[in-house]
Amino acid sequence: MGGKRAAKLFVALHLVCVLVPLAVVAVWAFTSSWPWPELLPQTFSDRGIVELFVTSRDLGEVLAVSVGISLAVAALSTVVAAMAARALVSYRFFGKELFRFSTVLPFLIPATVFAMGVQVVFIHAGLANTVFGVVLAHTIVALPYAITIMSEVTAAAGEKLEQQARVSGAGPVRALFEVQIPLLLPGLLSAASLSYITSFSQYFLTLLVGGGTVKTFALVMFPYLASGDRTIASAYGVLFMAVTLGVFFLFELLLKRFASAKTEYFTD
Amino acid sequence: MSLRGRKIKGALAPYALIAPTVVLVLVFIYGVVNGVLQGFGIMPFLGKTEFTLQYYLEAFGRADFTASLGFSLYISAVSSALAVVGGIVLSAALTRLSASRALQAVGISIPLMTAHTLVVLFVVSLFAGTGLVPRALYALGLIDGIGAFPSVVGDPSGWGIVLVYLWKEIPFVAFCTIAIMANVSDRYGEAALTLGASALRSFFSVTLPLCKGALVKAFLIVFAFSFGSYEVPFLLGPTLPKAIPVLAYLEFQNPDILNRSYAMAINGIMVLICTVLAIVYFIVLQRERRR
Repeated sequence: MGGKRAAKLFVALHLVCVLVPLAVVAVWAFTSSWPWPELLPQTFSDRGIVELFVTSRDLGEVLAVSVGISLAVAALSTVVAAMAARALVSYRFFGKELFRFSTVLPFLIPATVFAMGVQVVFIHAGLANTVFGVVLAHTIVALPYAITIMSEVTAAAGEKLEQQARVSGAGPVRALFEVQIPLLLPGLLSAASLSYITSFSQYFLTLLVGGGTVKTFALVMFPYLASGDRTIASAYGVLFMAVTLGVFFLFELLLKRFASAKTEYFTD
Repeated sequence: MSLRGRKIKGALAPYALIAPTVVLVLVFIYGVVNGVLQGFGIMPFLGKTEFTLQYYLEAFGRADFTASLGFSLYISAVSSALAVVGGIVLSAALTRLSASRALQAVGISIPLMTAHTLVVLFVVSLFAGTGLVPRALYALGLIDGIGAFPSVVGDPSGWGIVLVYLWKEIPFVAFCTIAIMANVSDRYGEAALTLGASALRSFFSVTLPLCKGALVKAFLIVFAFSFGSYEVPFLLGPTLPKAIPVLAYLEFQNPDILNRSYAMAINGIMVLICTVLAIVYFIVLQRERRR
């Protein structure tokens, strides 16, 4: 079988490229001195961690606000996208192609342009510097990803089982919650997970819409990345990865749990 | 409910389903258009309502703008082309190995989850003057000293910026194609092989054409993203030329409010370029659906 060795080599190389930087940053977070040209750090310290959790007192609040905003964005964009996907997959309606085109726009027109343009509008609407404004802006940016995923999953799932349930006497609400949603669950979770990530790492949009009043983790972390203090920057980096990975595994766990329950249900 | 009532309800259902998306997309378009209008000098909140092309002309007359536009287009073209090539190889390699979910999580999901700003930190930790790579090269005797490695921050070639985008977007392109590739390999892979086609040939004649649409879409997304993103070129880019979004934000922040119009003219040019990309994306999407 040709190419297997090359494939192995490439994947191994790729994994090194992904994991080595993570490891280096994790080491830097606990390093106090690493003079040139040493290959290993010379002394370690907890300065980065102390700075993170003690000196910057509002870290807990920042994290809570960030995770809260991103979870809200994940929920909102997934539900909205699932509805849009259903319309795109199962219905014919006037203006459908125009609608489809418009959902693609936030993919391709940069968030920076949107952010600078919408700032005045949000100020006049009283949405600037509010958590709600940030959630709204993030949801707009996350939506195209969620709609793409949901359209694929909705088309793949079809409506047969839902219709069968209806014919067998289930009401529309029951058919939706007991048949269609479990069927779409893997898609719903991956749309939510991608929306969460998109929101959690948003810097520029949060800066302009939140005006520095709504402090998210990506916002607080940024000045440290621009400064030269690598220990503190790395400590922030490690915490960012820990929080994101934590949420990712939560989604994976949910998927495993409910997806396995689903397959028992629907295999015939 | 009467038959007629049900029919009306059925006709209204799709509009009810798309309503929330329409509202969100309208906010997006309103924001973008509002910005673009400011570029034409229309700023009602300042009492200015007269249409002018002055700021656009000013933009194209300024050497720093044209240099920035060239720089951004170059960074995006290089990053997205290399990301597509790398993404194809990664996706094919993972498919070839029937990679487990865990392997895919590390190879694809972790890069997808990592913020671009963090990837900047990765690249700096590895490649800056005192980073790990120059240290290793020095230890191997390949470079002379601390300044001998080309600078990753502020270099006019922007190689640090490209590296950040590749770290993020190669896995993104793989993410966009891996489901199709796995599907193809399940369905046709065996057949092609038993019919005597070499693995490489069946890849180029069967798998790749089937991925074409997904690849064009991924290319456009990566291009538009790297073209319009602020953080990475702000942190790693050269002082001159600045990337377009960095230049636009600099003018946007200028206390002289007239510079805001200039910033918005720059944004308007970005919108124009990206709208072309969006139309191409949509055409590809339509073709895929017809198949």
